[in-house]
Amino acid sequence: MEKKKITEIVTSTVCSLVETLPAEQKFIVDQNTILFGTGSKIDSLSLVSIIVDLEGVFSSDYGIDISLTDDRAMMRKKSPFDSITALVDYIEELTLEN
Amino acid sequence: MYKDKIVLITGSSRGIGSETANYFLKNNAVVIGLSKGVPAIGNVNYHHFSVDLAKPEEIIKTFKNIAKHFKKIDIVINNAAVLTSQYSMIMPLKNAVDMVNVDLLAVFLVSRESVKLMRKNQYGRIINISSMAVSLEPAGDSLYAACKAGINTLANVMAKEFASFNITCNTLAITAYETDMLKQHSPEAQIKIKEIIKKLPIARMAEKDDILNVIDFFASKRSGYITAQTVYLGGVN
Repeated sequence: MEKKKITEIVTSTVCSLVETLPAEQKFIVDQNTILFGTGSKIDSLSLVSIIVDLEGVFSSDYGIDISLTDDRAMMRKKSPFDSITALVDYIEELTLEN
Repeated sequence: MYKDKIVLITGSSRGIGSETANYFLKNNAVVIGLSKGVPAIGNVNYHHFSVDLAKPEEIIKTFKNIAKHFKKIDIVINNAAVLTSQYSMIMPLKNAVDMVNVDLLAVFLVSRESVKLMRKNQYGRIINISSMAVSLEPAGDSLYAACKAGINTLANVMAKEFASFNITCNTLAITAYETDMLKQHSPEAQIKIKEIIKKLPIARMAEKDDILNVIDFFASKRSGYITAQTVYLGGVN
């Protein structure tokens, strides 16, 4: 799967989540949006929703089973949730292996 | 009463699961039944998925299949259970593992996978069927009682995790009910159960309507403010 497509899926998933947030919590999503930790504008439950949505979309729409929360994801020096770019890179890595 | 509702019931082939499935069907729900073996209910609104709940990978696979056919789930009844009543020191390992897998881990997985479908709809009711064994702690039921205590806690924690999706999680702890599972007990165990029943504040076995009454309460749309609760039948507490 092309990186451009992965970026599109991830960005659209995060944007969908942002749409559900109250007006005062909404923010503009870009490639540097931090998804977890210091500087993140979403809470942990919202991150869980994004992860579940992404795993679901890749599995049901593209037949690619990925796990974004296994030990491998958690043990990485650079967290896949540091930014949208980092998450896209990680998913690309997983899809290439799949 | 349950028109347009999709209800998923584990262990739908017999006992309480079968009775509950038929009850929801009678009240116009669509029922997804999960159990080992072939469907035991013939109804156009009944959809059976054959799965061995002792095998976690099978559960995950089954939910991928369910998601292809159903866009939502409204109500989940975690009913399936296996029981080997035996002193801990001589409990066969396979039976012990099966109990943990079916009575605890499957409840976790079925709830988790169902919530992935429920949250899109911002609505859900999860009802775990537990047991008086949690409170009475009868000898011979160490692992069964521990697993059932586990699902009480599971519902309470999940209630917190899923509250923002308008999903409630509650537990109905039943007393003995005349099922095939109960009949499988040895004559000694059946005598023990009768002795336990005699000592209950309401000294009789549970009847179908005792169970359905509480399921209705937890499953009702009006019960959106009722979560993380355990109801024991028959005066057990």
